[in-house]
Amino acid sequence: MAEMQTPDNPLSVLADRCIDCSVTLACWAWFIFGFLRFFSWRYLFFALFTKDPELSFQRLNSQFYRIFFRIVNVTAPRQRIEIDDEVASITSAVVVCNHLSYLDPLLLIALFQKHRTIVKSRFFTIPIFGWMIKKSGYIPATSEWPFSRIMIRQMETMESYLKSGGNLFIFPEGTRSRDGKIGKLNNGAFKIARMYKAPIYVLQLRNSDRLFTPGKFLFNTRMRNTIDIKIIDRIEPDYQNNPPTTSELEARVRQVYSERKL
Amino acid sequence: MTRDEFKNKILTIFIEDFEFEQPGLDDNLRDDHGFDSIDALELLGKMELILGFSFTREEKEAAMSIRTINDILDYVEEIKESRTQ
Repeated sequence: MAEMQTPDNPLSVLADRCIDCSVTLACWAWFIFGFLRFFSWRYLFFALFTKDPELSFQRLNSQFYRIFFRIVNVTAPRQRIEIDDEVASITSAVVVCNHLSYLDPLLLIALFQKHRTIVKSRFFTIPIFGWMIKKSGYIPATSEWPFSRIMIRQMETMESYLKSGGNLFIFPEGTRSRDGKIGKLNNGAFKIARMYKAPIYVLQLRNSDRLFTPGKFLFNTRMRNTIDIKIIDRIEPDYQNNPPTTSELEARVRQVYSERKL
Repeated sequence: MTRDEFKNKILTIFIEDFEFEQPGLDDNLRDDHGFDSIDALELLGKMELILGFSFTREEKEAAMSIRTINDILDYVEEIKESRTQ
């Protein structure tokens, strides 16, 4: 029996794969059937009957992914998610975070009820999903036609959005890290923070890639794992008297990550 | 404001606010200086302050395809002309 417990045992590996497969299917089932049964009509209601459905869509997105992570917690009890209370209380800020897994944006959407983010432009062309992220006020990453109109509209209202308590979260690497190290930082987040005189919160996210590894389809649920998010720096420049340059902001964020050996 | 006066103001903005080193009038702003759409929106905001009027959303969209400082100068002249007609 002891032999059967070793990770290389084919039966044990098969059992692990079956559990991973079940958890992954449960999550996909929520994505498809949970959306259709519990959320689609709510999105439709707000789209049809409210003048500006952006905030309602963002709240729904947040609720949808909170339930998604509850399902992960229940079906994969070895996975823990620990988020500092102070992260959840961030408002009116540009939030930058390292990027390890496709789960990362979902975690931040679940965390911040009032949020905008920058999304790869090609997602805006996907039926239904593209419509939803557009209605949610998300911003396309490129400004080529036909995305320029969406981008300009969102940026025109960004100042008031941030002042009213909204967060703009961005993964400045633009792509998932494959080795856990921080990659080249795109400076769009710092430009926006500077333009709208917003504070910048720097987050460190760990271990989401151990649950959903880049390049793998199934969640890896059998390993004990704690996904955590914490604030590692809060940058509040004196924009009025001593405004920093974009490259100074970028250098500071890079330094903060490198001090954490990222 | 003449084209030359406006050009000088724009060059100052590129050097002081966008950290450009020796911007040329025909440099490709994106390829040569990493000027992106967020920069373009910030620049449009600064141009509005200089010109004393706001750009419409359509004018801003058109500005997204601008590539050089000379293009910017032409673009502003076109808009000023269309508004005086």
